[in-house]
Amino acid sequence: MKAFTALTTIELRLLLRDPASVFFMMAFPMMLLVLKRGDSGAVPGYIAMISAVGGLGALPGIVAGYRERKVLKRLGTTPISPVLLLGAQLVAQVAAALIGSALLVVAAIAAFGARPPTNLPLLAVAILLCSVMVCALGFVIAAVVRNTRGASLIGMLVEFPMLFLAGAAVPREALPDSLRAIGGFLPLTPGVDVLTAAWTGAAALFPMMILAGIIVAGTAVAAALFRWE
Amino acid sequence: MEAIEVTDLRKTYGGTNAVDGVTFTVHAGETLGIAGHNGAGKTTTVECLLGLRRADGGSVRVLGEDPARRRRALAQRVGAQLQESALPERIKVAEALHAFASFYHRPADWREVMERWSLTSLARKAYGDLSGGQKQRLMLALALVGDPELVVLDELTTGLDPLARRETWRLVRELKTSGTTVVLVSHYFDEAEALCDRLAVLARGRIRAMGTPAEIIARTGTASLEEAYFALEGADR
Repeated sequence: MKAFTALTTIELRLLLRDPASVFFMMAFPMMLLVLKRGDSGAVPGYIAMISAVGGLGALPGIVAGYRERKVLKRLGTTPISPVLLLGAQLVAQVAAALIGSALLVVAAIAAFGARPPTNLPLLAVAILLCSVMVCALGFVIAAVVRNTRGASLIGMLVEFPMLFLAGAAVPREALPDSLRAIGGFLPLTPGVDVLTAAWTGAAALFPMMILAGIIVAGTAVAAALFRWE
Repeated sequence: MEAIEVTDLRKTYGGTNAVDGVTFTVHAGETLGIAGHNGAGKTTTVECLLGLRRADGGSVRVLGEDPARRRRALAQRVGAQLQESALPERIKVAEALHAFASFYHRPADWREVMERWSLTSLARKAYGDLSGGQKQRLMLALALVGDPELVVLDELTTGLDPLARRETWRLVRELKTSGTTVVLVSHYFDEAEALCDRLAVLARGRIRAMGTPAEIIARTGTASLEEAYFALEGADR
């Protein structure tokens, strides 16, 4: 536990030292909110975007880098398991997503007079589910793609179209029919649904179950395919 | 008890015998060098010692235990510095030492380790901003922060400038004086000669000679360890 706490603290600090992570998880969503003139209806989508930026935009490259730079192998010569570092990375990504989301929600309320969410624990659970789900996808990419650059690239190739088609960056209602149909098959879509419902205090049970299913399946696939070297 | 006993170790990768029947012992408190060119089987041997790989044949005993089965327990007592292993670019020196210390039941005081290896002035510096020599000094300190009885150092000075190399040698000598058993893997013969009590010369997966550097040179009738290596390596070509 001591080791896990130490690793998680470091992983979170490393994320907060990374200008790209800080910008896209904390500053960028607020800028978008300003462009939207504070329309609080966009907030749940932006929260999903914050999760995707961390779990798909950053995580695959970080984890593949740990393998390529033999950080995982070096940990294999210590009494702890290298799995601990991956767990620490997950917790740090979720924590960063919670911080980014909290900043966005506070900005929406304080600067644009949005109505505060009625059920804060439910919203927190929704953010948690969405973030862990995206991280599970990120781990699958890191497991399968050999090198750091490749993993970063694939992560972003999965991330960006999904931001637009799943209703995170723009509402799906604004998309043409054919593109909206694609969104129905993307894993981030139930994430946006869960967050949108939670924002108004409702629990969207079916999408929550889908997220849980993706988490279980993604973790299993990543665990089965992960290359340690 | 010997610190390490390796008997007829074999490891094959896709039909190639990376290690082909290697036998040696390391006495407690001694510095044993494993010298040889790239591809001689040095790193594979070391990885079997550390439990990172399972041998295909033969037996390995490290501090009386089988590393392939008891990797985690052994890791409490064995420190390692791996070839080309790195840390995240933005991690700070003190953070790395603190985190590694948290992996062990009875670690050394990481601040003392940091002081002893002249890293205190770099405590808040990021790994990515360190020079090659400073990085290697940190990796050495990380190998020692668990207060190990045995330390395995793989290609310790590869890529270092001559000054940093001499500095690293001084640190290894200091380690020897403190009674730690050291296994030093190197493809530099001057390094092996300068630091090791005994030497195993490896070529194409086999031990070609074993003894003190002086013995090996005398046996081959050559003038230096490097010449001795080529004489041994060429003998069965």
